[in-house]
Amino acid sequence: MEEQMKEWPEPFSTTGGKTSMLVTMQEQVKEWLDQDKVDLFLGYKMVQKHPLPHCFTKDNLDEVDELIAGQARYSLEKIATKIAAERPEIKIGLLARDCNQRALNVLYVWNQLNPDNLETINVNCCPSKLKEHGDCSYLEPEQVGSFKKMIGIDNIIEVKAAEEFSQEDRFNRWMYEFQKCLKCYGCRNICPVCFCEECSLEHTDLIATGSIPPEVPIFHLVRAVHMGGRCIDCGLCEDTCPVDIPLRLLYRKVNETVEDVFGYVTGTNADQSPFNLLGDEVTLKIKPI
Amino acid sequence: MTNSIAEIEDAACIFVIGTNTTENHPLIARRVFRAKEKGAKLIVADPRNIQLARFADIHVRHRLGSDVALLNGMMHVIIKNDWHAKSYIDERTEGFDELKKVVETYTPDKVEAISGIAQGDLERMAELYATNSPAALLYAMGITQHTTGVDNVKSCCNIAMLCGNVGVRSGGVNPLRGQNNVQGACDMGGLPNVFPAYQPVTVEANNEKFSKAWGKKLPDQIGYTITDMIPAMLNGKLKALYVIGENPMMSDPDQNHINKALEKLELLICQDIFQTETTQKADVVFAAASVAEKEGTFTNTERRCVKVNIAIDPVGNALADWEIISKLSTAMGYKMSYENSEEIFNEMTSVTPSYGGMTYERLGLDGLQWPCPNSEHPGTPFLHKEQFTRGKGMFHAIEYLDPDEMPDDKYPYFLTTGRNFAHFHTGTMTRASAHLHAEQKTGYVELNPEDANKLAVQDGDMVLLSTRRGEMKTPARVTSKVKPGVLFVPFHFAECPANILTNPAFDPIAKIPEFKVCAAKIEKAP
Amino acid sequence: MDYKIIPSICSYCGCGCGVLFQVFDGKLVGTLPMKTHLVNEGKLCIKGWNLHEHVVSDKRLKSPMLKKDGNLQETTWDEAIQTTADKLKAIIQKHGPDSVGVLASAKVTNEENYLAQKFTRAAIGTNNVDHCARL
Repeated sequence: MEEQMKEWPEPFSTTGGKTSMLVTMQEQVKEWLDQDKVDLFLGYKMVQKHPLPHCFTKDNLDEVDELIAGQARYSLEKIATKIAAERPEIKIGLLARDCNQRALNVLYVWNQLNPDNLETINVNCCPSKLKEHGDCSYLEPEQVGSFKKMIGIDNIIEVKAAEEFSQEDRFNRWMYEFQKCLKCYGCRNICPVCFCEECSLEHTDLIATGSIPPEVPIFHLVRAVHMGGRCIDCGLCEDTCPVDIPLRLLYRKVNETVEDVFGYVTGTNADQSPFNLLGDEVTLKIKPI
Repeated sequence: MTNSIAEIEDAACIFVIGTNTTENHPLIARRVFRAKEKGAKLIVADPRNIQLARFADIHVRHRLGSDVALLNGMMHVIIKNDWHAKSYIDERTEGFDELKKVVETYTPDKVEAISGIAQGDLERMAELYATNSPAALLYAMGITQHTTGVDNVKSCCNIAMLCGNVGVRSGGVNPLRGQNNVQGACDMGGLPNVFPAYQPVTVEANNEKFSKAWGKKLPDQIGYTITDMIPAMLNGKLKALYVIGENPMMSDPDQNHINKALEKLELLICQDIFQTETTQKADVVFAAASVAEKEGTFTNTERRCVKVNIAIDPVGNALADWEIISKLSTAMGYKMSYENSEEIFNEMTSVTPSYGGMTYERLGLDGLQWPCPNSEHPGTPFLHKEQFTRGKGMFHAIEYLDPDEMPDDKYPYFLTTGRNFAHFHTGTMTRASAHLHAEQKTGYVELNPEDANKLAVQDGDMVLLSTRRGEMKTPARVTSKVKPGVLFVPFHFAECPANILTNPAFDPIAKIPEFKVCAAKIEKAP
Repeated sequence: MDYKIIPSICSYCGCGCGVLFQVFDGKLVGTLPMKTHLVNEGKLCIKGWNLHEHVVSDKRLKSPMLKKDGNLQETTWDEAIQTTADKLKAIIQKHGPDSVGVLASAKVTNEENYLAQKFTRAAIGTNNVDHCARL
């Protein structure tokens, strides 16, 4: 709970009571629910000193006074996808940080959510104005240990810096990181843009089952390949990784390749993705290499 | 655990012995990795090449059941090099001279003869453990499930005290509890010799206190442990058994034996959330609510009492276990009429000093670590801070003893048992979970490639495993995770039940069976 | 339409990780790691992530059962409890309270373990109570 002690920008701040920004947010949500613009609103609420995701509804309008922006970050859009899959007609309101918005764009592209049924209240936090490497879940990036820096990969390293390691060194460092994997599938489970019914990670011809670490490096490379043109760099995967594998860096590299080849920046808008070949025509041309 | 999970991260040295932490306590393994990445030294002593071993500064694969020799040998080296914590030993402990006398005889060559650990390795382990402080020692069933389980645990305590590691942050002796509420079940007096908070039933004052609180004269004779109950069933002394949320048919050693014992009962009452190998033998089965369907508290391995909450209604007509016990008790003529779980909790804290300061409100979502004796007490992250609970920490001089059964001509292999990362205990819950089932569908035996070669067995071939207790067929998993001459079988799978093979010999004090070592034979299945 | 998040604790191993149960119209549909929990800090293992799956399994026992004509058959709580109590009382009367044993459980709550040992000691009148810590 130490994170709460840090100074947070509006509307996340909890020091000094309710900020005007938070009050405006709550009023907006109440209005939407009251006027049936949305059937439910996904935000956060403090439960016994912990910020937890919460679904606000018209039946309990007064509860909206407890809506907060939530210093801990959950994939509200993944919850929305789950709800929409069961009840496609429901109109969903959602508190969206920048990363949530990028995820929503991808989910629209892949027909997992209908933009007509979604309203967002946007909160700006990521990329953070306060810190260069700011992740909204920890504005102060965690310093990784000396041994990890020496043998493994620093979680806050940029793609460019990582590429400065010699190929052999880079390979060994990644192998070190992948060997820690506990095969929890958390990176996939928490990912807002992972929605496939059949997942390649569970394909027994690709990846053997029954022991850990999962096959090194295939397991993580299979996932990385599938993140191309999908990953919106929210960092939730790395945040949920029990052994601190620098997944974000890996997927950034994959997305960089997608951008180089197709000129496509994932999540920036709800336009067609180069991997989403619906209909007869490929809508995006491959850029000459 | 004497210490807390989060503290492990800041240890200067972590000594992992008899715990396959990444598979069985993944969120504790996380802290081990983080400590390592911050620069801690990692020592792994495990007969198998477990995942953590890949990251160890030193990994030894000692012979199954040779833990006392290994630990005595380390202490021998530590004392010889004058690395022990002398002022700590003087001020806070007793019995050092007796310990010293015994470990003096555990020279590195003697230890090598018993355990197979090279002398240089032993010295290196001792040096790393003794010269990097604080050092946290982690163990699990690999230490306890032996006929010398108590000796093994005491030896772990010996080495920790020898280096001044007990009563300090990020140090300690840390048994990792295998089930969510083992700690709580013990704390609550689910034991034949003690009331809640380890108050002995044989002490008159305790008996009076509880007799008064519960309005009934209570028995003051120590009862049967689970290990005593089996022979008592066989010789007709125990006529009825009420089993709550357990599957002894799968979890007890020597399945054929326990099967006979259960069949002799006049009345077997089972209470579970699933049909199990045990409920199928029952005269009555009570359908219980699951973790998501009831309210109450668990106490985790770091003594943290935490609350579970009702998410959904119980399936069908299932009832929370506390409701079932209350109904049965009332029908037996001893009235129990609780409105909810909180009412029971409040009664419990009034007679359980270590939980005395806890209320549901105070627990919140973070819980509290016992001892928490009063409503102002913040809970206790680590034990024995200024002094040991008993006053002075007691060294126990311990001699090494062989396991009950060693390989011989007829049964030439060592067999050990444990868990797979995707499954839990007897598989009752995890095998009903689609994603976990998909990960590992049935049992197997780990077999070294050298042995596989000798037996002309390929990965996936069916093999026949046998011991003096029984035999079973299972697919072979050829892997260098085990040494030549050693076999490993997970015990989750009813169709290849590890416990048809295991040895029911038990530790004389803790009554814990020797699941971790027995002698076995393996051959290609006909 | 009702979507709820219920904070709870994983019931597999002894770590005691904080989880959030996702409940959709009264149905348990998922498990999430609790981000701010002191033990697991927003991470879980494969068992924790799938905690809800065993709860919603169709193999769950839904009713008490009594053995009749050699087979277990579903029955009411009243009958299951009364029959059991009568049989237990008869055994105690004939062979004494020490002829009964109870196995409490490392899988149920503290409250339930407290009651199980209280039941054994006060209602049955024996200290024959143990559980699977040794196994």
